[in-house]
Amino acid sequence: MSTTATTPRSTAPKRRPRYGGYGLELVMAAVAVVFLFPVYALVTLAMKDPAQIADSPLSPPAPPTFANFGNAWSSASLGPALLNSTIITVISLLLLIVLGSTGAYYLARRARGLGYGLYILFLLGIVLPFQLGMIPLYKLVDDLGWLGTYHGMVLFYTGIQLPFTVFLYTGFIRALPQDYAQAALIDGCDHRQAFTRIVFPLLRPITGTVIILNAVFIWNDFFTPLLYLGGSGKETVPVGVFSFVGQYVSDYGLVFAGLALAALPILVVFLLLQRYVIKGFAGGLKG
Amino acid sequence: MTTGSRSLSEPVPGTVSRRGFLRAGGGVAALAALPPLLTACSSSGGSDKVRIVGVADQQKPIEELLALYRKSHPDPAFSTSFAPTDQVQTVVRTQLAGGNAPDVHVLFPGSGSAMSMVELAKAGLLTDLGGQKWTQRIPKNFDPAYRHDGKTYLYSAGSSVIGAIYNKKAFATAGVQPPRTWSELLDVCAKLKAKGIVPIALGAQTPWVTQLISYALVPNAVYAKTPGFDADMAAGRAKFAGSGWADALGKYQELQRKGFFNDNPNGTTYEQQTSLVASGKAAMAVQVSAVLANFRQATPTPDDLGMFPFPGGDNPAELWIPAGIVVGLGVAAHAKNPAEAKAFIEFLGQQENINRWATAVSAIPFTRDATTEIDPALAGFLPIIDANRAVPFMDQSWPNAEVQPAHFAAVQELLAGKTDVAGALGKMDQAYGKKS
Amino acid sequence: MNSLPDTATSGPEKPGPAVGGAPAKSGAPAPAGRTRRHRDATLPPWAFVVPALLVYAVVVLYPSLAGVVYAFTDWSGVGDFAFVGLDNFRTLLNDDRALESVSNTLLLTLAVVVVQNGIGLLLALGVNANIRSRSLLRVIFFAPAVVSPVMVAFLWKYVYNPDNGAGLNGILGALGLGGLRQDWLGNPSLALWSVAAMVVWQYAGYSMVIFLAGLQSVPAELHEAARIDGAGTWQRFRYVTWPLLAPALTINLMLSTIGGLKLFDQVYAATNGGPGTSSETLSTVLYKEAFVFGKFGYSTAVALVLALFVAAVSLVQLRYLRAREVTA
Repeated sequence: MSTTATTPRSTAPKRRPRYGGYGLELVMAAVAVVFLFPVYALVTLAMKDPAQIADSPLSPPAPPTFANFGNAWSSASLGPALLNSTIITVISLLLLIVLGSTGAYYLARRARGLGYGLYILFLLGIVLPFQLGMIPLYKLVDDLGWLGTYHGMVLFYTGIQLPFTVFLYTGFIRALPQDYAQAALIDGCDHRQAFTRIVFPLLRPITGTVIILNAVFIWNDFFTPLLYLGGSGKETVPVGVFSFVGQYVSDYGLVFAGLALAALPILVVFLLLQRYVIKGFAGGLKG
Repeated sequence: MTTGSRSLSEPVPGTVSRRGFLRAGGGVAALAALPPLLTACSSSGGSDKVRIVGVADQQKPIEELLALYRKSHPDPAFSTSFAPTDQVQTVVRTQLAGGNAPDVHVLFPGSGSAMSMVELAKAGLLTDLGGQKWTQRIPKNFDPAYRHDGKTYLYSAGSSVIGAIYNKKAFATAGVQPPRTWSELLDVCAKLKAKGIVPIALGAQTPWVTQLISYALVPNAVYAKTPGFDADMAAGRAKFAGSGWADALGKYQELQRKGFFNDNPNGTTYEQQTSLVASGKAAMAVQVSAVLANFRQATPTPDDLGMFPFPGGDNPAELWIPAGIVVGLGVAAHAKNPAEAKAFIEFLGQQENINRWATAVSAIPFTRDATTEIDPALAGFLPIIDANRAVPFMDQSWPNAEVQPAHFAAVQELLAGKTDVAGALGKMDQAYGKKS
Repeated sequence: MNSLPDTATSGPEKPGPAVGGAPAKSGAPAPAGRTRRHRDATLPPWAFVVPALLVYAVVVLYPSLAGVVYAFTDWSGVGDFAFVGLDNFRTLLNDDRALESVSNTLLLTLAVVVVQNGIGLLLALGVNANIRSRSLLRVIFFAPAVVSPVMVAFLWKYVYNPDNGAGLNGILGALGLGGLRQDWLGNPSLALWSVAAMVVWQYAGYSMVIFLAGLQSVPAELHEAARIDGAGTWQRFRYVTWPLLAPALTINLMLSTIGGLKLFDQVYAATNGGPGTSSETLSTVLYKEAFVFGKFGYSTAVALVLALFVAAVSLVQLRYLRAREVTA
């Protein structure tokens, strides 16, 4: 273990890197405004009653109504739905990180022969259309008696997002220097220790990415929870929000209010994660 | 473990023994990979509850009536699930295919769609409701919507009409009255246009909206002259091309040529169409009565909205209109709780509950009594329906689910100037000829 | 800021100081090569990959294999079916709707891959620089990716309202750019590109996050060293940052290519393939065949062909990009 403390990494500079400049700051702010327009549209729509939306959908709400948020919260049972979504997302993420990073470590270090074949096999999972296995998988989950359960959904998301997760991890592990882990092995660590103590901490930036991108997918997925959880009382947030969307009669103020409420937790997680990832990595940068 | 994985790789539909094996054995690889704490979250699969899966538009009547039903029938428990039409269609078909049918599910009348009564009845997936009392009151001419091979599979509260939803204020501004003939309609549109009001709002970006003007015109153009047109089509004696459909689409085009639609109808959505009429920027929209609630909630003064039969012909005494049975419910043949499911449908079939459902979706009940209250906006339609000059929505008699989308695409291409009437009808004939 | 380099002794559970994913080999910009052979003992054992493989096999491989069977049947999706051999594939050869959708699929993919990654990279460089608002900016750029794709389409229909006074057209008018107003979703030659723009808006931040993970693996001292050596901004990007971004670039290009070829939700919810059939893609065609037309067997055949095509494209891409990673 001691060898890793003497890695060739030089001491990070104590002084801050140069400030990027007001020019860049201004340009980025301008781009941000463009990106924000649809977000503005969403928030505006969420603060209007149907008559206001019909009158002028995207003008600033005058007066703004917050009734939609309350109504969406109660009629889509967003409270329990948020809990369901959180349970399913968090457990799936944990499994994805564990299975994905260990699997990828193997695949990245054995990049030839069988290892490469397995890597391609995983990659196939990103390529396959979801529809291909939809009915057999539904039957399987039904046969297991796992419809309408959290673990049915966790199994689904872990399996369906593993290829993507393995792909992300493998790419980054391949770019990591192998010296640390090898040194640790020579020092008497076993593979598990070498992985958990040396390799996994080095994967922090990509783990942050894995968390947020998988979280977005799992949190937003609508079809599978509807199929597997519909009517079980364990419905996730999108299932609640989508139930407002009729062919003939919809209340988009309510829909978008529910949507805004659903998106907030993920954005907060992203913000926290960014800080954590940056802090962890950026020795010299202002966090 | 090894037997488990071998049985998993069999690409044959699940059998009872395999199901039993999987549940009892629990030797599936996935189990080993999941932390044991997960099983603590386990609960029953919910098959003890009566499952209802519906489209979002059915949420209001079903929840209202289920609450009533549960007052007198606290057992068994029900579970409901609602979602947008496309997704529900996919979910229910997957559940049917996976051998886990909901007890009660959404069902479209007649044929012509993947979740239609005929399509599912032919596959043996529906329960005959024929023994229930309400089925005896279904008018004979509604049979194609409710029945297949003499058995009744669909519960639906009644029909929805297509007509023009109009803004009374906009009509008053232009000093016009609801037209009773095609020529009057053109005249009214011209006057509205002269006042700077869009005469007819059209939201053809939303696929199902494209069909409404065709459907409003076809009863006069086709069925008034050839009541047996559907049978002729089915027997191959008639085609869309060269039939009254050509007149109907010709009139559709005429409305566009004369500038009676909003600009860019292909880019305008149903929601935007609604707001055009609700705000009075447009005077009317050809729509199905089921949307009345949506139009009304889009304006602070809902009383300004009315509805009149869209005049496709020139004899006001002989006006034909489209009236289609609204989307309803069916009981799955493989329902886990068939008795409870049928009991609920029986309850829905009581006159007062038919009335309740019909009111919730602005429909006209298929059977009426003294207590039936019909949306006042639909008053003008009742005499026509009672005189048997109402025709079901055309798609409900089409032999496969491809004709309707072909019609949507054809209308959008007509509006975009990418095809002509003959080309559009040719595409529809081609789709009609495909095997279901 | 703590900058002690000895993460090795702290477990992953401690959010203490970490060296981060620094591929630093004493300042050498090239990633560690795979060229060196190692003794078997230093390679991770099977146990690392077996759990992942099992879950993957149960949830993805087995069901997909079982599903392939339907491609050789006339199954409607419910009820009974018969085996029809290769009929479905023969039908596909004469299916104008499916064949016409291929070019739409390719154009959409190309647009999304190029523009989304271009913008994503620029955004990542921008928010990786030391500017005050970068935390906030990251959230703003990523926010669209957080919203469900179907809902994004619903939202953008308000933005794409063709009315002169509404949405994007209204803004163009207010900016004095009234001449640029369009019938965004209603014009058959524009609808596909409008959908592409919507997808780029939604996922540029997604690409940004992946590039950002790559940029965060570039050690700051490399930049400092290059700066001291007198390298300009462009040179530092070209010779320090760019080579080290190779893994992120590979991931982004592959994911957006596959995602583009399979793109469904946004297209279906925004245009349903219309007006007419002008924005129909392979995914919308195969969905309609399966669940709208009730031709599940045929649809599975289309799905299979799509999968083979996407697999072929990604394999070629992967080979090229991997070779590039080594030599970059």
